[in-house]
Amino acid sequence: MSQKPKSRSRPSSQGEREPGGGGEEAPSTSRGPGGAASQRRAQASPAPGPRSQKQLELKVAELVQFLLIKDQRKIPIRRTDILRHVVGDYKDVLPELLRRAAERLEYVFGYRLVELEPRSNTYILVNTLEPVEEDAEVRGDQGTPTTGLLMIVLGLIFMKGNTIKETEVWDFLRRLGVHPDKKHLIFGEPKKLITEDFVRQRYLDYRRIPHTDPVDYELQWGPRTNLETSKMKVLKFVAKVHNQDPKDWPAQYCEALADEEARARPQPAGPSPATASAPTPAPVS
Amino acid sequence: MTDVHRRFLQLLMTHGVLEERDVKRLQKHCYKVHDCNATIEKLEDFINNINSVLESLYIEIKKGVTEDDGRPIYALVNLATTSISKMASDFAENELDLFRKALELIIDSDTGFASSTNILNLVDQLKGKKMRKKEAEHVLQKFVQSKWLIEKEGEFTLHGRAILEMDQYIRETYPDAVKVCNICRSLLIQGQSCETCGIRMHLPCVAKYFQSNSEPHCPHCNDYWPHEVPEVFDPEKERETGQLQQTLSLLSWDHPGPADPTRPLQHCAGPFLTKVFLPQGPCPCCGEHLPQVCQFRIPGPSGFYSDVYCDSPI
Repeated sequence: MSQKPKSRSRPSSQGEREPGGGGEEAPSTSRGPGGAASQRRAQASPAPGPRSQKQLELKVAELVQFLLIKDQRKIPIRRTDILRHVVGDYKDVLPELLRRAAERLEYVFGYRLVELEPRSNTYILVNTLEPVEEDAEVRGDQGTPTTGLLMIVLGLIFMKGNTIKETEVWDFLRRLGVHPDKKHLIFGEPKKLITEDFVRQRYLDYRRIPHTDPVDYELQWGPRTNLETSKMKVLKFVAKVHNQDPKDWPAQYCEALADEEARARPQPAGPSPATASAPTPAPVS
Repeated sequence: MTDVHRRFLQLLMTHGVLEERDVKRLQKHCYKVHDCNATIEKLEDFINNINSVLESLYIEIKKGVTEDDGRPIYALVNLATTSISKMASDFAENELDLFRKALELIIDSDTGFASSTNILNLVDQLKGKKMRKKEAEHVLQKFVQSKWLIEKEGEFTLHGRAILEMDQYIRETYPDAVKVCNICRSLLIQGQSCETCGIRMHLPCVAKYFQSNSEPHCPHCNDYWPHEVPEVFDPEKERETGQLQQTLSLLSWDHPGPADPTRPLQHCAGPFLTKVFLPQGPCPCCGEHLPQVCQFRIPGPSGFYSDVYCDSPI
């Protein structure tokens, strides 16, 4: 991304749209609800060097776009990447930038910026909007067919007690016509998908089991899975595949219920992107 | 800003550029999901409302018009940076440089088109990893697929998406070579020009300006306008063909074909089976024989539904 902030111009598009708002140079921070809040912000925040509100706003805009693009590939975003590619010499205000970016992402797009694991300094975006089947018809990218395979593996892991050996996974998948060594028409290379791609995206954890001969690995849910879905949702998926009710698996159902209750309880120190020391003023409008 | 707007934005972002009728369909879908009973706001106001919130992020949903047939299109564009930054995340350094070279040839050309040969001849000058001509041909096709370039008979021009996104960048980088439409004053890549005084106009601008004028004259020098005046784009006429295209696009496989919803399912009866499936028989466009397959829609953890096909023939 370009590091040179240029003044905002509104080139007249070929449509009939009138240039709305003014072509003003100063950023309009008081637009919409919360105008008072932004005024409070302007008064309360100390001037960290010669940085204007507009410069900060531009940095937040860059950061938001960076996070959106990075998350598209489902690879967790590292704090170091953020520092290197976007923030640069605004390093001292990184917590504030992250806080504002997180607020914008949630308010404008409905994505919550969360830390993958406490103190991991990597982040993902979690959708606050529930997916709806008809979304698929208006999307531009048709999801990814590989997600189907992921759901099957996640379901398998949960139903088998939250951990499963790799050999068991292939025993199961072979029956569906998915083999580790054969290229699949839809899923491409299943072995690479399961043991590399999904792991890199943090949907799965893939660990070697010590003292096994031949070497075997175990698969578990990765941190992203717990943030993006839940045991109950996966159980419902499995039940639907079998045309049964989730309660037909009492052990898993109880576990899923307990998980739901734990989620409903307010988090004591929820994962937050900003590890700022100073108390932050009211959120940006 | 409500969930209607958020879902709209999320789904709009999955498209690089979207035609107006699909934008309206998307808006209708978002209303249906969140707020069934509310009256659907006029698209222009709906988008202006979203844009007023996007302003603080230096992005906007920009409306444009395709240069060849005057269709209204929308894209989410970046206002703050003036570069080809949106492409930067999807392409390698040498691929981006190939695009820049093609862009320059297109802007310098008289017709707004650059020939494949001329672009490929510049392959040795690219920054980054060395690229062979064969590879460059693939990269050019990637640009066409992701709607940055349009190909016509071996020549390339800018897609409406690129014009919307890179307007500012182009004006700043090529201030002398840039052409502008005499009517709407916007950036012009393809268009018609007066043979006497040289002014240029977009095809849709020509269509509107000379509408129902049997003897068109150049607005600048008043000389007889020698070119064929195209038809003004009519969204109503498009709707009929649009519905057929929509049905075809739902059945995306390699070959679109008409759906036959009355045919009963005989194969997979899984719970995620969607109603759409392909009939057996020859493909209407190329004649190749199509197998009969079932389509499943499986929910994913992060909000995607993925479409999977069973490939066993029925």
